[in-house]
Amino acid sequence: MFGRLTLGQIPYHNGIVLGAFIFAAGAGLVIMAALTYYRKWGYLIREWITSLDHKKIGVMYIIVGLVMLFRGFIDGVMIRTQQAMADGPHSAGHLQALHGYLPPFHFDQIYSSHGTIMIIFAVTVVLTGFQNIIVPLQIGARDMAFPYLNAVSLWLTAAGAALVMISLFVGDFSHAGWVGIIPLTELPYSPGVGVDYWDWALQLSSLGTTLGALNLITTIVMMRAPGMTWFRMPFFTWASLSTQTIGLTAFPVLGVALALLSSDRYLGTHFYTGGMGGNLMLYTDLFWIWGHPEVYFIILPAWGIMSEVIPVFSEKALFGYTVMVAATLSIAGLSWAVWLHHFFTMGAGPGVNLFFSVSTMLVGIPTGVKVFNWSLTLYRGRLRFETPMLWAIGGLILLLVGGLTGMMLAIPAINYTVHNSVFVIAHFHMMFLVSVYGIFAGMMFWFPKVFGFRLDENSGRKFFIFFSLGTATTFSAMFTLGFMGMTRRLDYLYDPHWQPLLDIEEFGIFLYCVAVFYFFKMIYVSLRDRAKESHGQDVWSTSRTLEWMTLTPVPYYNFAVIPEVHGRDEWASRRESGFEDSGPEEYEDIHLPKSSIAPAVIGALAFGFGFGMTWRIWWMAGLSLLGIIGVVILRSFADQSGIVLSADAVRRMEQKPEGTGIITDHISPPVAELEALS
Amino acid sequence: MSAHEADPLDHPEVRHASPLAYVSGYLLSVIFMAIALLLTLRHTMHYLNFIIAVSILAGLALLAQALLMFRLDLSKSQQWKTFSLILVLPLFVLSVGLTGWMFHTLYPRTMMHFMQVQGADM
Repeated sequence: MFGRLTLGQIPYHNGIVLGAFIFAAGAGLVIMAALTYYRKWGYLIREWITSLDHKKIGVMYIIVGLVMLFRGFIDGVMIRTQQAMADGPHSAGHLQALHGYLPPFHFDQIYSSHGTIMIIFAVTVVLTGFQNIIVPLQIGARDMAFPYLNAVSLWLTAAGAALVMISLFVGDFSHAGWVGIIPLTELPYSPGVGVDYWDWALQLSSLGTTLGALNLITTIVMMRAPGMTWFRMPFFTWASLSTQTIGLTAFPVLGVALALLSSDRYLGTHFYTGGMGGNLMLYTDLFWIWGHPEVYFIILPAWGIMSEVIPVFSEKALFGYTVMVAATLSIAGLSWAVWLHHFFTMGAGPGVNLFFSVSTMLVGIPTGVKVFNWSLTLYRGRLRFETPMLWAIGGLILLLVGGLTGMMLAIPAINYTVHNSVFVIAHFHMMFLVSVYGIFAGMMFWFPKVFGFRLDENSGRKFFIFFSLGTATTFSAMFTLGFMGMTRRLDYLYDPHWQPLLDIEEFGIFLYCVAVFYFFKMIYVSLRDRAKESHGQDVWSTSRTLEWMTLTPVPYYNFAVIPEVHGRDEWASRRESGFEDSGPEEYEDIHLPKSSIAPAVIGALAFGFGFGMTWRIWWMAGLSLLGIIGVVILRSFADQSGIVLSADAVRRMEQKPEGTGIITDHISPPVAELEALS
Repeated sequence: MSAHEADPLDHPEVRHASPLAYVSGYLLSVIFMAIALLLTLRHTMHYLNFIIAVSILAGLALLAQALLMFRLDLSKSQQWKTFSLILVLPLFVLSVGLTGWMFHTLYPRTMMHFMQVQGADM
């Protein structure tokens, strides 16, 4: 009846997991109690869960991503703490571990979930959220091209994230690394459910990402405001277009790689086994055909954010816009020809390694162009070091460290020497942290636009400072350990000489913990003082692109009248010409999509499908799949005409915009109107 | 609102539907892939000729599916899809080609029995 699921699969005997469960269950209960006490269930479902508004979907993406970022961070803390405790033959063991406090099987799951979560469910998801919110605003659109599909993408991603989270409390997570080390992921080597959790979580979220890519590309190609030619598009939109082109083409490869692995595990095929005509190296090849473009899928939007933030706080236009666009497109193109540098040591011929070495180094050219262009934007600018700018410049510095160590790794001879050492780990953390710095730059930068009040500058600065100190401390020690020969994924470290550097890494993690404290403080203080921190449409006074033209917080219809674009940096040129206060002469009716519960139901059923497949509860998987098909068919019969907001109503709201933003203390007009109609 | 938005049956893509094309597309692609499967199972061709033959058959199956089943052409309703497919082709060639090259140099170094499959001139 319940496949392989039994009560014994709940690891209540593990003190760490039990503690995490009590924390998660307690937090969940508090949230549910608060929703019940303040009678917000209706608001939550009607305004958020069923919403097709791209801004709300973007915010929900970011919330999912931040929750996962926090979980991934805790995994990181656990990894570093284990390694600091388990160095040398005389290191003590606690909680049934011979050394440190984590037995090897548990430690393996922690580093696998850390990588999977940080890459797939944190950074990717948060950046998708930013693109969801900002791209339609930057191109002067009312919503995404396919609002319903947008919500489906979100809930599929959320279903994948939920699978990862539930694996913490029911069964195990994969112990085969975030890359799915083959043949460890094959059934004989991993007979448990861990690999299946990882497999289905990735499948569901990558489906969501692919659909999201389709949506964003269509939005950018088809829905730009009149006058917004290709070379008048804001740079973040260009970065998004390049990113999503990568996403649309690369993610299906991951789908195929995992589908073949699933066939091996569920149907007994031999795609990746050594015998019977299979080829385990094919998995590694397929995984990285997706995996390296995924690196640029993560980094390009962050560079897009930096390219928006640096000009605003340098008070001048982005230097070399056209070249920047060309560089971004070049990186997107090159991303498809570099993947083999992830396995130089597999044993391919020198000609192959040379080709991929050169192609990897070629990425350095457009990336270098970007660094020079950002530097020249800063040069002789009127620089203001508010928090978004701090994060953007921090990202720029990390990019130099990550980029130069990447060039080292592009040389096969060096790669052979440091392969699988923590030098590689430190390198790619530098690159992913560029994305994280971009994320926080974007959060500080656009938060006031979306919510109508600024984040607290004082605790925001402390957050930045401690985060940067943590980064420098942890990863300078890790680079050194890599050169000293420490390999990755070690639950026990045999060389006592590494202890001082492992302690430095642990201290760096402590600094990160302080940074997390200031992050939460920043959120708390900002919410508490939101009335004092509220502001007009352009909080930074030097913003340049279309999203700053509309009201703050952004009304649910985005623009009362779709703006006519006359040049690049439209808002900056209007402000400089004194036209920033000129409203539209006449308003027009606005067509908006109706809310729908279908996407959230599809997400819930997708979770049921993934959970059923993981535990081999066939009836659950089958019914969930049938349910998804049924919901899609039912939805196709529903009235999809949307709602029309009259020109008079728009005028009234533009003159008195209270309550039209993303957060309201009541049911917002479009939802109320929709419910009145039905 | 254009006509096809009012009635889905008037949508240009729906108007493209043709049972004859679907069936012939299906049959042709099955035939091409069956021939490729037979060639693979029988090992009768020389390695290089075999690779060329299977690649040509794959191309023919792709064409049959793109033209007859997906009805891709340059009409207004289909041009973006045709354009997307053409854009993906270089990536397809790049990823499959480079993968083939990689394995071609990898096998002699790691999996000796494949040398027999590929010929001793490797």
